[in-house]
Amino acid sequence: MELAELTKCLSGLSGPSGFEESVREYISSYLHHAADEIRTDALGNMIAIKRCGKLGAKMILLDAHMDEIGFIVTGAKDGFLSFGMLGGVDQRMLPAREVMVLSDPPLYGVIDTMPPHVLTVEEKSKAIEPDKLFIDVGLTQEEALKAAPQGTPVVYAAGCDDLGQGQLCGKALDDRACAAVIIKAFERLAAQELNADICCLVSTQEEVGHRGATVAAFGLEPDIAIVVDVTHGRTPDGKEALTDCGKGAAIGIGPNINTALARQLIAMAEEKKIPYQPEAVPGGNSGTNAHAIQVARTGVVTALISLPLKYMHTPVEVVHISDMEAIVDLIAAYVESLEV
Amino acid sequence: MMLDTLETLCCLEGVSGGEDEVRDYILERVLPHADEIRTDPLGNLMVFKKGAVTPEKRVMLCAHMDEVGLIVTHITEDGYLRFDQAGGIDRRVIIGKKVFVGPGRILGVVGSKAVHMTTAEQRKKLPEIKDMFIDIGAKDKAEAEKQVHIGDLVAFDDRVVRFGDGFVKAKAIDDRVGCATMVELIESELPCDCWFAFTTQEEVGSRGATVAARSIQPDVALVLEGTTAADIPGTEGAGRVCLLGSGVVLPFMDRGTIYDKDLRATLIRLAEENGIPWQTKSMIAGGTDGSVVQRSGAGAEVAALSVAVRNIHSPACVAKISECEDQLKLARLFLAEMAK
Repeated sequence: MELAELTKCLSGLSGPSGFEESVREYISSYLHHAADEIRTDALGNMIAIKRCGKLGAKMILLDAHMDEIGFIVTGAKDGFLSFGMLGGVDQRMLPAREVMVLSDPPLYGVIDTMPPHVLTVEEKSKAIEPDKLFIDVGLTQEEALKAAPQGTPVVYAAGCDDLGQGQLCGKALDDRACAAVIIKAFERLAAQELNADICCLVSTQEEVGHRGATVAAFGLEPDIAIVVDVTHGRTPDGKEALTDCGKGAAIGIGPNINTALARQLIAMAEEKKIPYQPEAVPGGNSGTNAHAIQVARTGVVTALISLPLKYMHTPVEVVHISDMEAIVDLIAAYVESLEV
Repeated sequence: MMLDTLETLCCLEGVSGGEDEVRDYILERVLPHADEIRTDPLGNLMVFKKGAVTPEKRVMLCAHMDEVGLIVTHITEDGYLRFDQAGGIDRRVIIGKKVFVGPGRILGVVGSKAVHMTTAEQRKKLPEIKDMFIDIGAKDKAEAEKQVHIGDLVAFDDRVVRFGDGFVKAKAIDDRVGCATMVELIESELPCDCWFAFTTQEEVGSRGATVAARSIQPDVALVLEGTTAADIPGTEGAGRVCLLGSGVVLPFMDRGTIYDKDLRATLIRLAEENGIPWQTKSMIAGGTDGSVVQRSGAGAEVAALSVAVRNIHSPACVAKISECEDQLKLARLFLAEMAK
């Protein structure tokens, strides 16, 4: 499957933090033909490994997370579902929003809002606190409690569409677009003779604190890790973002990233003429799985390659396919260049 | 049948001032059944159909074709669209939504900088409309100008979903429900002669109905509408205005009109005699084309027959399907009464 098509498929799956089953199953079955070994650990991480069969070969870990932000049902009032958050939801996105309640069978719902006709000017300028919002599933109290009991996860109901030229727009592109990137890189690398073992880790629960990657990195004990996640692309109201969509792979530089590895990646991008942009990552926490993986076991040489994305954590995230392709090329070129 | 018509109509675009697509579709449907058809410079579609009898009074049914939406006001150097609203919209329902721009139906999203980059204060407030923008994926102004133009109308996502226990979600249920009722009536045998006014620009001040009423000069008029329901948890008693599931709405008064008492009493009697649940609005909110029809020329007797709509003036309007059908049923009974 082509990169863009795979991204659209992954974006359409429902997998909020802690409830990633359908994403995991899809990716496991997708990578079955390419990997020597596929397994799932106690936190639900999807781990695919391809070994090169050479003595002393290093293990290169590629990571992207499969979970998306979402909601969890906390109860019902007059048939309307109350909910809490799974991850960093932007509360301003919620009024008149369509959602999918992941009950069995799933229920379509709308987060209701007050009509503008009865609101004051002041009310209309304020975001609504999430505890005042409810999901309308068109059921009575009794039916709602039965169909979607407390603990039922919920995600945005949104597709993934082509936008303009060579762009995608949809939900959960953070981080399924990057999951598609490492899957395609793994596929490409697995088809050739290499001097390193490669592991494709599509991890869980990143949005609630890098939990999946923490245990996966411990279990896998990699020598080198390349974390692929999204970063903020500039927008008219967010000029302070450090990257631009469409200008290539963002190679992170900062304490959370191994400097020598970052330099190698930049040199590789220059050599192979792969579009890239350096991105400064201040502080010890990049806000990605690199934060957990760098300090796994006795420490891992870790790089962060980011995909510029606009409108993060909304149902209308936007990415450029060319940036995704640049990251696939960069990862492949780097791993291909490794010697035993 | 009624539901199919409603769903088809809701998928058409007709932001105030750009009702052509809706008018063309309705014209195609009613042409074989009409005895006279008029249009005018405002774009109103006026249809006369003979019935079993010609009543002494000239009867008119009225529903508006337009919907609330946005209008492009400026294209920025980096290819984003600035916009204003066409019709009364709570700006909280715009942010992070998919939209279609202009006659080419170019996909765009109403972007806003990621929640991660906002201050605590910004998260509690909504950006002003002048600070919002639409991203159509254009790389610069020149590329945007090839696809869209200043003055292009912008409509919400047009997906229709049936859900829960007999509910439907769509944009523009206000007032395609009234249009659907009139189309269904025109396609059937009528008890009495009737004029049907499919009006334009209701959402920006009943501009179309102002001239349509002068053209038709009705003695009696029934306005078919979708109206403000605020029956969600957190609102109590009268604040709920009207409730989905409590029947069609027969208002005594709104912000534009005190409805004719005798006409309203007739509608209440017909509803009760025929087992059609009805309710009234518990708050003086909103308005209809009734205001201008009532005061047109030497005046007319006016009543309104509405369907309760949650999230009205948003991309995710919700109505009870049985109440849309009851609007048609009661409108037909009303015409039978006018034949007496």
